[in-house]
Formats: sequence, C-alpha cells, structure tokens
Amino acid sequence: MELETLVGTLPGLPLDVLEVILGSLEIPDLIRAGSVCCSWRAAYTSLRDLGRYKQSQTPCLFYSSKSAGDNVACLYSLVEKRVYKLTLPEPPIRSRILIGSSNGWLITADERLELLLVNPVTGEQIALPSVVTIEHKVYREPEIHDRNDLREELYFKAFLFPDLSSGSYIVVLIHHPYYQLSFARAGDDKWTWMPPNAGYRDCMYMDGVLYALTKLGEIDAFDLSGSTVTRTVIVGKVKDYIYESMYIIPSPWGGLLQVWRIVDIPRHEVGEGPEIFYAPDHKGWRVKNHRVHELEDSGAPGILKHPEQEDEDCDAPGIEHALEQGDVDVLENGPATYVKYITKKIQVYKVDMVGKELVKVYCLPEHLLFLGHNQSLCLCAEEHPQLKANHVYFTDDHKELIMSFKDANRDIGVLNLENHKRKEILSKIWCDLPCPTWIVPNLTKMNSAFRK
Amino acid sequence: MASAGSGDEKAAAAAMITLISSDNEKFEVTEATATLSQTIRHMIEDGCTDGGVPLPNVTSKILARVIEYCKKHATAAAGEEGSSSSFSDAAFLEVDRAFLEELEEFDDAFLEVDRATLFDLILAANYLDIKGLLNLTCQKVADSVKGKTPEQIREMYNIVNDLTPEEEAEIRRETQWAFE
Repeated sequence: MELETLVGTLPGLPLDVLEVILGSLEIPDLIRAGSVCCSWRAAYTSLRDLGRYKQSQTPCLFYSSKSAGDNVACLYSLVEKRVYKLTLPEPPIRSRILIGSSNGWLITADERLELLLVNPVTGEQIALPSVVTIEHKVYREPEIHDRNDLREELYFKAFLFPDLSSGSYIVVLIHHPYYQLSFARAGDDKWTWMPPNAGYRDCMYMDGVLYALTKLGEIDAFDLSGSTVTRTVIVGKVKDYIYESMYIIPSPWGGLLQVWRIVDIPRHEVGEGPEIFYAPDHKGWRVKNHRVHELEDSGAPGILKHPEQEDEDCDAPGIEHALEQGDVDVLENGPATYVKYITKKIQVYKVDMVGKELVKVYCLPEHLLFLGHNQSLCLCAEEHPQLKANHVYFTDDHKELIMSFKDANRDIGVLNLENHKRKEILSKIWCDLPCPTWIVPNLTKMNSAFRK
Repeated sequence: MASAGSGDEKAAAAAMITLISSDNEKFEVTEATATLSQTIRHMIEDGCTDGGVPLPNVTSKILARVIEYCKKHATAAAGEEGSSSSFSDAAFLEVDRAFLEELEEFDDAFLEVDRATLFDLILAANYLDIKGLLNLTCQKVADSVKGKTPEQIREMYNIVNDLTPEEEAEIRRETQWAFE
C-alpha cells in the first residue's frame, strides 16, 4: 500500500519554491494551500510570519447579515465571487458601527461608544484609548430610549496606519464637532488632539507624514515622526462646500490624488418621490413624501437596476451572480421603506504640490479606485486582473443620510470613469449596522498592542 | 538531442558551453543561452566550465526542455537589445510588443506538460537559478490551486497529507472560514 502511494508521489518542492508558489495567492487560497501537507504548511507559516505573502490582496466587501449571525463578518471576494463568513469576538459586530477600514483592520465603535480594532481574518481585536480621553468632542451620557445614535454624533472616520518610527501602528480619528483630528499611537492611553483646522473628510499616510483633506479641498500635512506634531498647509481652499464625499489617495506613480464623489437623490416621479432636506432643528436629514417601495422586480431576487443604468458594459465578471451564492439576506425584511441615493459622478484630480492646485484627471487607464468607509485605495489594474481598470469600486459613506435613514438601501457599485455609468455589485444590502465597506485582507498579527 | 545549440546562429561566434545531464547526455549551447542560469553564469565567471558542466540533478529530458526555454528567451533578449539601437521609438515599441506576444505564446505552449514534468521543471529552474522559468512554472502551479480544497490539491499533485490530526484541528480552529 505504502509503495503504491510513493510511486505516484511527485518530487517534494523545496521550501523557497513553495514560498514562491504560495506567495502569489489571495489569502483564502493561501490558507487552503497551507493545509495540504507539512511542507506546504511550513511555507504558509513562513510567509505569514514574515509578511511575505502577496501584499496586493484584492479588497473584499465586508458586510453583516441577520441570517449569518450577530457575530459574523461576511467578506465577499471579488476574485472568487463568493462569500466567506468569519466569526468575530464579542461584542457582536452587528451591535457596532463602522468607523473605518485600513490595512485589513475594521475600526468599530461598540454600544458604549468605545473604539475597537478587529481583524476579521485573524480574529485579533484591540481596544483603543477610551472615548473619554478624546478632547473637544461632542459627548453626553446616553439617555434611556435615546433615539439618536451617539456614535454617529461623535465619530466620522478612522484610519490605521503603520507607524514607521515605532515599528507599530497609529490610529487617526476624524470626529465631531466640526470634523476635527485626533490620533493615538500603539500603547497610548489617550487621544491627542490636532488643532487648529477642522472640516476633515479623509486622511492618508506616507513616509511618516499624515495628509488630511478638508471639505474645502485643503490638504494639511502633519509630521507625526517627532514628539511634537507640526502642521504644514500643502494646498489651500480650492472649492466651496457642497454635499459630497471627498477622498485623498497616494497615487502609485507618486504624489497625491483628490477625489470628489457627488451623490444624487433622484426623484422617480415628480411629486411622488421622497424629498430629502436638512432640518437644522433636528440636526439631521429628513424626508418628505416618504413612501413604501416594493422591491423592484428585475428578474433575479434583490437585484436593483436604476432606471438610468442600463445593461451596457455589463461584463463586470460574475458580479451580478453574487446574490445566488452569497445569501445576502436582502429579502428577509420583505418590502421595506427606503430612500434611494446614488453616486452620480466621481471626479479625480491630481494634486500639483508645487503650483498648489488641482489638475483634472479624466481617466486612470492602468488603475482603479476603492472608495467608501475604507482607507481610500488606488490599485494597479495589472495586479488585479479580475477587476476593471479605469473603474471606481465604491460603498456607501453618506453618513448624514445614513443617520436619518437606517433602512435606506446602500449605494454600492462600480462606476466607469470613462462614461460615468454605474453597475451594482451586491445589489441591495439592507443591513443597517455596521455599514458595508471594503477591506483588504491581512494575515499579519499586530505585534505591540494598543493599551486602553 | 546533442546538437541542441546549433540553431542559434546569432551567437555562433560566441563561446559554446557543454551541459551534461544526470544520464550523461551532452548538450552544447551558446554562452548567451547558458547564462540565463545564474548557477552556470557563476561557473563560467569562475572558469570552471572546461570539459563541460555536469548537472547531476537534471535529466536529459528535462534539460532539453530547459534549454529550449533558455534559447527562446536569450534570443528574445538579444533581439530587444539589437532593436533598441536600430529602430525609431515607435518601431521599437512595435517590435517590442511583437516579441512579447511571441514570448507569451511560447510560454503558454511550453507549460503544456504533465504535472510530474512541471514539478521537474520547477526543481531544475530552482537548481539552475533561472528566475524567469521559476516564476513561470510556479505561477502555473499557483493558478492550478486557486479555488481548490486541500483534498483536491493533494489529489491533483499526489501529495500525501502528513499533517497530524492535532495540526489539522489547529488549522481548522484558526481559519475554519476558508474551508467552508
């Protein structure tokens, strides 16, 4: 018997060769290949521990669903067009809100308003400095039957960046009021406020410097490598404020990109569609003519087709079939009340650091963008053959709207920068909390933990 | 078989190297072809190629394939070098693209081998330190395991599962999600 097995056995491959083979795989494939036999396992362990596996992992769509369970994170793989379900530590992920997603970590706020980092792939979870140490915050004790989610009133967006000076990590937080910045390094027991500017919308980190973008298109640079933080204005005000999402991204060819995303709230029929307006009395968005919509029947369950979005350019590989495989429980709530708001246009600008101005970019022939609650990404199309160049993969981050309409259907899709046509990815995701977002899977364990 | 290098007229004037397979077959190749292998390049630099280079880890069957790969890629490299000085930029790009397409076609056809040969080619590329061939063959294996379960991978490559039940249990405990 043993002889028979041996006759058919291929020669064993040395460890360095197995590392080359396994080192080109996406994480789910890497994990499976790493459990084939002892030598393949050794290659997996070495790649994981030294962080030498494929670093340009393809982003997955993170979401939760009632049917999967309160502690389960669903990761939809754009490569495999299937869903993975990962059980996360307490408290239940569905009881948290999502503040950010960077380098494989979700940044979440629990019901006590405390911030937790969690890596769905490793199950590792780290508590950040307490909410009470944030300076200049909006904070009040939750009242019984408090209808407003205090977390939404306090947090806007957070980021986790590798801190080169300490070899560990740094978390940057945009918080209310006025979208101010604070940060905490690994081991800090409190947040450090970064005055004096405000109105921040997005951040990126490059070579020890934090770049923060405001709603007016201003870019402030903060040198975080020393003990005192210094601020430099890279670009001044370039626009007036309008309601749109704004992003700052390091571009793969060097320099910075600014991206503006315009959201539209279409009225389907004049006089019947919901009208959304900002109500200063309520400090939030309200809706008029709110009515109950049936799920639109477009052949497949839960697939939403916007009237303006036709079937042109519908070869986004397999994306439309996701629902069959990925039991997104969009239908479990049955007909629902919802408000449609959709990404209408995405405009990319190159930041001219010398001239301190923006230069319009009409296409990204070799790149693609990932925008949403996540750390904004610009990826090389060549490294992601399953994704489409010159397209923007986006998730919902219209916070003001989400706050008021928790049951609104999500604005998730792919937009072609050439013609601004959009396609759905995972059709309707009704889940209220936490908000779906992009996550780049990461197998690396955090070495030095944050202290609370 | 023994005249594997004779068609390479471009480098005919260059020094020839004799490679000797594990089953004692001799292959004469140009230095340009042979030096795609870093292992052989170092031997040439050290002047220890007189009387042929014995390759006790590579059979004649596999060595013939490896030489086929090296000749093609050495020719392509030489062609690129030559074209860069004698063509305009646009013409150069055109030639460059044609070369790349031809090379890609060659590589695709080259990989049409059974799995045992593929593994032997990987081992030979690793031993001879031929980076392009190693990456090409490893990528082929990587592509073949995508979306497969460990059981399917073992079956595909006749790999015996020598993990202990405890190790398997630990893997499942840590990363069960990837197996569902």
